[in-house]
Amino acid sequence: MAAPCRRMASRSLLQFLSCFSRTAVGNVGFRQFSSTSVCRATLMTQSVTERARSPWTLMAAVCLQRFPVISADCTPIEQQFRQMMRQMELEKSLLSDHELRLLEDAERMSRKQADDYDSDQDGDLGDQEIVLAQDLEDSWEQKLKSFQPTPRVTADADEDLTSLERCLADSLFLLAEQQVGGGKLWLLPQTRWQDGETLRQTAERALPAAGLKATFLGNAPCGVYKYKLPKAARTESTVGTKVFFFKAVLSDSGPPAAPDAPLLWAKKSELQRYLKPAYMMTVDRFILSL
Amino acid sequence: MSVALSRCLCRVLSRQTAPSSFLLGEHHHAVQSPWFAPVRTLKTSAPLRAEPKKKKKVDPRREQTLKERMRKKLKKLEKVAPEFIPIEDLITPAKYLDETRKRSAPRLSFEESEGRALLLKEWCRYKQEQHMAEVQAVELSLEAQREALEELKLESEELYQAALKPDPLLFPFTHDGPVYTPPKSKYEAPDGKYNNITKVYTQ
Repeated sequence: MAAPCRRMASRSLLQFLSCFSRTAVGNVGFRQFSSTSVCRATLMTQSVTERARSPWTLMAAVCLQRFPVISADCTPIEQQFRQMMRQMELEKSLLSDHELRLLEDAERMSRKQADDYDSDQDGDLGDQEIVLAQDLEDSWEQKLKSFQPTPRVTADADEDLTSLERCLADSLFLLAEQQVGGGKLWLLPQTRWQDGETLRQTAERALPAAGLKATFLGNAPCGVYKYKLPKAARTESTVGTKVFFFKAVLSDSGPPAAPDAPLLWAKKSELQRYLKPAYMMTVDRFILSL
Repeated sequence: MSVALSRCLCRVLSRQTAPSSFLLGEHHHAVQSPWFAPVRTLKTSAPLRAEPKKKKKVDPRREQTLKERMRKKLKKLEKVAPEFIPIEDLITPAKYLDETRKRSAPRLSFEESEGRALLLKEWCRYKQEQHMAEVQAVELSLEAQREALEELKLESEELYQAALKPDPLLFPFTHDGPVYTPPKSKYEAPDGKYNNITKVYTQ
């Protein structure tokens, strides 16, 4: 983290100075003075005044991810390779105790069926004569058949976009339909930043309280989306909005409460259907579904 | 009154004379055989009347030397390096060196062995593509984070510093990985009994 910080610091300083030369609104003198000041007190007041003057409204959004519950199906090459490896390993292995027992039992049976069979020749085997290895195998198979696991794929659950049980083999991401500017848009749940709180706390507030327990992964944002308002809506104080995204992982969710806004759980491939193209491009970078 | 007095006097005199005769008798016995002195005359018997011997200096020194010798022996024993604990997994048990356990090696046809070699190469390529895709995705997401932090720094220094702070509550972070079949709700697992036969070594 130290190296990128240093790089970022030098780059942002250049950007800082270049941006001020561009947006000279008559406060150039003040800003240049503040950029050279060393005292912390002046820096603090500078940050407050900077915040007050910055034309961007801050918002924080949460990218809530539900990890896959079951393992994904194998691709054809993976299936082929798995089969081949199993065969190769079987060929290179030694006979196990169970297999040896199977061979011995088969041999004994064939000797018993022969005409000149002397039962005294066989040693004292006791239980091995009563319960053959084959019988054991059969009993194990029976036990396995009597156990019914839950089916891996349920087509009905997959259709329902609001349920958490859909597409258990992929990671799902939470989308909410929110009022932005003119109309309603589907996006990652976001809310406006308020004074006195960190952006992570804003993101925690942005989480729709629908009985979802999330673990936030760190204090740093994972992505940013900034857009400028249409020229008609621009005022002196607001030019546009910067939305900072925070990653969170869904821990086991309790009973789902009725959400205020319509929610849906979408896979990465389905996100394109709901999100705007520019937004999708930014979000695509940090959403990993490996 | 006088009778009582006389009786008391008689009793006193008799008491006085009895012990004296007893003592005289005892004395008489003691003079005869000093080895069989009764308990009452122990204090007065001949050998014990002398002062006790002073053994104080010699005994502690002897005890100390004994203790030092014991300590030296213990140190010599301790200097020997302790035996290594054998790693069970790396020792092939003797029963697997048996000849009867070997499988008959199957003879593969030419096509089969060629097919296997080609599949291995395809697998190698597939895995390499997967790995490169993973690495690229991680780099993209790191780049996205770096840009986000830059933008945040432009916005406000305070929020930027708060974002850089590590989160102490995040670790230890655990997540149970994917399973083959989804978990059954209200499933009662059968009780499993087992005998633990692992060997425990002490050094």
